[in-house]
Amino acid sequence: MNLDFSIIPKYLPFLLQGAGLTIELAVLGIAFGILLGLVAALMKISHTPLRYIAHFYIWLIRGTPLLVQLFLIYFGLPQLGITLSAFASSVIGLGINSGAYLAEVFRGGIEAIPEGQTEASLSLGMGKFLTMRRIIFPQALRISIPSLGNQFIITLKDSSLCSVITMSDLLQTSQRFASRTFASLEFYTAAAVLYLLMTTVISALLRSLEWRLSREIRTRGN
Amino acid sequence: MNLAYMPKKSKVDNLSLPEKSMINVKGLVKDFGKNRVIDGIDATVSAGEVVVLIGASGSGKSTFLRCLNGLETLTAGEILIDSVPLESKSSSLKRIRRQVGMVFQQFNLFPHLTVLENVIEAPVHVLNQKKDFAVKTARELLTKVGLLDKQNCYPGTLSGGQGQRVAIARALAMHPKIMLFDEPTSALDPELVGEVLTVMKQLAEDGMTMVVVTHEMGFAKEVADRVIFIDEGRIVEEGSPIQIFSNPQEKRTQTFLGRLSH
Repeated sequence: MNLDFSIIPKYLPFLLQGAGLTIELAVLGIAFGILLGLVAALMKISHTPLRYIAHFYIWLIRGTPLLVQLFLIYFGLPQLGITLSAFASSVIGLGINSGAYLAEVFRGGIEAIPEGQTEASLSLGMGKFLTMRRIIFPQALRISIPSLGNQFIITLKDSSLCSVITMSDLLQTSQRFASRTFASLEFYTAAAVLYLLMTTVISALLRSLEWRLSREIRTRGN
Repeated sequence: MNLAYMPKKSKVDNLSLPEKSMINVKGLVKDFGKNRVIDGIDATVSAGEVVVLIGASGSGKSTFLRCLNGLETLTAGEILIDSVPLESKSSSLKRIRRQVGMVFQQFNLFPHLTVLENVIEAPVHVLNQKKDFAVKTARELLTKVGLLDKQNCYPGTLSGGQGQRVAIARALAMHPKIMLFDEPTSALDPELVGEVLTVMKQLAEDGMTMVVVTHEMGFAKEVADRVIFIDEGRIVEEGSPIQIFSNPQEKRTQTFLGRLSH
């Protein structure tokens, strides 16, 4: 057996740098995704033709692989005169992709709020937009946080696909050193451990956020 | 017990003034799909009057109430609130809803806001009141319903009776001209009904125009100026509580009241 982890510490700063880019891609990607998901969710529950656009978006994105979407954005769009950097392509790709899933998450959260909340708000003279912003959405967001956290973890892991469109993220950095030193098992294990570390920290942060935000809801019914 | 039928002080004052019509309903029809729930209702409610709607479940009384603040769209007919027609346009709806408070069977308090935040929400965001001012008014209202000590609690920690009293304070914070009550005590444990009715009685004595859907016949007898019996989406009979409860003229009213006393 030929396994020597002592090679890792020397390259660790580079791996951590790659992990930094991975986090950056995931955070920007999910932020863009939250924005898109919110807009798509509102379009989907609206009783206007806009909902068909949201349906189409969700159908298209959920039905195709992320890697194909990234290829289309990075390699395909230049043919239409739209040239984006690898970083921009990655953030847009991850955002569009997570947005489609988050649209369903937010829609579910909004629809879970009882109709009486809207009626009470409207009968106080609050308009539809104010009702959504002040009454419905804050409650829907609390319900959505576990699924939102889940999507964040998925997006963080999916960001490894961006290595294929030249991003020097954690996976690509590991790959580079693995092929240079032939220590594949060591470097990919190190990558796996770092991914695991990041997702574990995110899970813990989200659990405490969920706990704090649900404080008042928790006291219901006792 | 007959004392309860004596006109209240504010009502005596009103008698000397020309009757001002606060709610005016003409030819109201409401369909849900092919189902006609309100089948031609004409009604007038004067300023300061307390009207109680009674009737079996499914008779259309709650739907009628929900039409009065535009929670239901009208199939046909017209509603005037303080002489202003209720239109389905959202700007006009908003203006009317500010003047018509509503209290629901399920309270519908906002669970993510404290009691105080529930009460100041609409004054601050709809009437653009300064927060300090809204808080001051809210505390006065919470004192009135006996819940100032709960101002920083979340609705989930309140009993049903407390929750409904907060809901009343929340509606009053908009200084409405009319208050609508949709079975306000039906979701409460029997021992908590009294505290809510007491607040409503106080409100009636203060001269608030009220339309109340309720199964609390004791409240109707004691507080109502007029009782309206609705069946199959129509007004079958209306009159003073003593007329309706002691000497109902219509067979359907007699049957309904007869069933209640068993």
